[in-house]
Amino acid sequence: MLNKSLALEVINVASSTGADFVEIFNEETERRVYSLEGLNVDATSITNTSGIGLRLLKGTRSVYGSTSDKSRKSLINLAKTLSKSFEGERELPELNGFDNIKVKKIHSKSAPISTVNSAEIVSLLKKTANIVLSYDKRIVRVITSFLLTINRVEIFNSNGKHWVDNKEYGRLALQSIASENGKIETRFDGPGSQGGWEYFTKTINLEEIAKNNAKKVILMLGAKECPSGKFPVIIGNGWGGVIFHEACGHQLEASSVAKGLSVFSNMKGQQIANTCVSAYDDGSIPNEWGSNNLDDEGNIPQKNELIKDGILTGYLIDSFNGRRMNEPGNGACRRQSYKYEPTSRMSNTYIAPGKFTEDEIIKATKLGLYAVSFNGGSVDPSTGDFNFGCSEAYIIKDGKILEPVRGATLVGNAREILKHIDMVGNNLAFGQGMCGASSGSIPVNVGQPTIRIDEIVVGGRGGSINDF
Amino acid sequence: MIFNKFFNIAKENGINESEISINKSTSFSFSLFKKELVSYTVDSSRKISARGIFNGKIGFGSTEDDSPKTSEFLINAIKETASLSESQDEPIIFKGADKYKKKNVYSKKLAERQTEDKIKLCRAIEEKLTAADPRVSDVQVEYQDIESEKTFANSYGLVLKEKGNYFIIVASVVIKDGDEIKSNLDIFLETDPEKFNIDEFCDGIVKKGLEKLGGESIKAGKYKAVLERGCVSSLLSALISNLSSEEVQKHSSKFEGRLNQKVLSPKITVCEKPNLKNVFFSYFDDEGVPTKDKVLFDHGVLKTYFYNLVTAKKDGVESTGNASRSGSKMGISFANIVLKPGKLSEGELFEKIGNGIYVTDIQGLHAGLNSTSGDFSLQAEGFHIVNGKKDKALTLFTLSGNLFELFNNVIAVGNNSKLLISSFNVPSVAFKNLKVSAE
Repeated sequence: MLNKSLALEVINVASSTGADFVEIFNEETERRVYSLEGLNVDATSITNTSGIGLRLLKGTRSVYGSTSDKSRKSLINLAKTLSKSFEGERELPELNGFDNIKVKKIHSKSAPISTVNSAEIVSLLKKTANIVLSYDKRIVRVITSFLLTINRVEIFNSNGKHWVDNKEYGRLALQSIASENGKIETRFDGPGSQGGWEYFTKTINLEEIAKNNAKKVILMLGAKECPSGKFPVIIGNGWGGVIFHEACGHQLEASSVAKGLSVFSNMKGQQIANTCVSAYDDGSIPNEWGSNNLDDEGNIPQKNELIKDGILTGYLIDSFNGRRMNEPGNGACRRQSYKYEPTSRMSNTYIAPGKFTEDEIIKATKLGLYAVSFNGGSVDPSTGDFNFGCSEAYIIKDGKILEPVRGATLVGNAREILKHIDMVGNNLAFGQGMCGASSGSIPVNVGQPTIRIDEIVVGGRGGSINDF
Repeated sequence: MIFNKFFNIAKENGINESEISINKSTSFSFSLFKKELVSYTVDSSRKISARGIFNGKIGFGSTEDDSPKTSEFLINAIKETASLSESQDEPIIFKGADKYKKKNVYSKKLAERQTEDKIKLCRAIEEKLTAADPRVSDVQVEYQDIESEKTFANSYGLVLKEKGNYFIIVASVVIKDGDEIKSNLDIFLETDPEKFNIDEFCDGIVKKGLEKLGGESIKAGKYKAVLERGCVSSLLSALISNLSSEEVQKHSSKFEGRLNQKVLSPKITVCEKPNLKNVFFSYFDDEGVPTKDKVLFDHGVLKTYFYNLVTAKKDGVESTGNASRSGSKMGISFANIVLKPGKLSEGELFEKIGNGIYVTDIQGLHAGLNSTSGDFSLQAEGFHIVNGKKDKALTLFTLSGNLFELFNNVIAVGNNSKLLISSFNVPSVAFKNLKVSAE
């Protein structure tokens, strides 16, 4: 915790040359990583990071400084250095004190992971690794790890507000490698939550996840190469939501919208997707990987409607970029750590459930691809061009799943693809990931029910789909 | 932090061999948008990491706090993590080498460059890009300079220090022509401020951006392709990650058991030159072992894997100075990879393939490329090559292949080598049999 009188002094020094807003972000983080190679604990580490981020705003200009030295001398020096980039007179009144704002906790957990002993965590990893290793001899390597992040954040700002928040993230990573006749295939699963230890021991069925991991890596090892061309693609629920995250989510962030750099800038009220598509970003869902008690500038995360029946209805806004858009921050301001200036980011982003069952979507597809899961993807927000690589995919023929295929990549353009979503399922699920952008790498959920895109370019090495 | 004091307390706690590394860095950055200085950032940080052997196992801790409590925290972390370890690897703390090739890669000129001059330079870049063509609708310019200092010390009395600085300029343009939107960016990274040529930098960004307009779709099929340097660097990097001895020893590299065998086209000779004096220079690795220059592939023949102390001991060889610590794990990394240039210019490569494609950018490497299997299917940008000449731009397509096959399907290696931000110094390369998918 930062001494309040020092926080006051820093804010007053920082605002002495005309900044209209000053914020201190004080953070302490402990990371514990337990890694297993096969059934042996291979590496464990304990890492502490600790530092201060200082943000000064004046109109549409921001200056930001960070340091791991929390001494008075260092912080006053930082405040003076940053304030020099403005050359005016003091605009804010001198601050005399802070109101402590109580932070409402949205996560409920009976067993914080920080109270679980290391042996129990290692034992769960061994059990998981063993399930995968004993599934098939062709699985030559299994790497499992558990990452625990305990984060304590404190925010002071020139509006005289002070918040303290504690977060705890747990993530289990499972990677298997299968090999046969010179072919190598890998499979990754990484369930994560803020819901405590019980998430891993009760909420999810880790045994099923491990069995599925093993089953799928063997299945994909024997799969044919994916065909290429332009045809219908069904995108699986959960992790399939990465398509919306890449193709649309990033371009609804105020960081690119405010400057007119997004393909969706100034398009509120316009039809950008098929009428069957509604989408939200909700950072307030209890225990979810991308949720927060408060965002990284003190706003309360909320359910933000982004698209309603195909019409663009909202953006993800941080207070700074909101200034250009004349809109307030809507709880979407996030950062990896004190080293990063915060900006608008996603939390738990998803396409809302529609009316079809997964079976109905498959049955309605004569010839196409069913992309169940993905390794990830990327997008250029200025053009909307995106790509994502499939980790698990099947050929659909005459309304039935025919056979697995490997090496599929989907490419397209955000402005086009949303209009081509023609069926939305009723089985909404989330998948956990880390999203990288200008304010660093942060935990996010991607999500959606099973959806169908009537046509998209698929890249693969397996010739024409008509040959299947 | 006083090293000897730490090593002594460690010994009192049963940690007879240990090492400390301290990384300090300061950075300054800003960005311009529509002539406004929209962000301005300074950072100063330090990280103190320690490894030590406790009861025959290696342990690790790291902190950003430099206070009287630091030694106690690190020692407790080493003891706790070592106690959990079940690794069969014999832990090694390096006793030191006879010779280290230290070079000065610190630029005083850069350190003395005034903030006003940096902003002035970027404003000039912004103006030049904006004025270059009426279709340039948006310009962003970002500047960053970083100064870092690394100190490595261990209980055998080895103390190594390295200091460096560099700057990065990232400039991007958005080009709008009717409904068509294209973007292009370039990154410049250097230690010496005088090596930056504003005209060359800006002209390239706009010219390449404009060339992307008016693209036509390409028919799916197999093509001969000239891959521009950046694409070659990305694919070569994924390929040589399979030279990690750890991957080889754990049976997850296709190069396992292939030493001194022909594994790539004879046109491919690749070296690692960490001792080249440039921004990527480093004279010791994360275990304190001297880095050294080496041939990786000699005319397609595999000459060595990358080793650290532990993997080298297993194979009965010497460390190649490629240790890289990630958390507590000592892995492998490489820098300054050089692909030996051929004789043909890029234009001559086009002539050589006659008809095909020129690939200028590939995207989606983290999702569409599996470096272990070598399979890739990536979003790509580029041009037709018709009758030996660069022709019209292509609309979005995907490029698929397998790394191990690709580097055996080399038609010719170009002579236009350049050091890239990836630390790779590579020319353009012409390949055969690349699969293209499109509308």
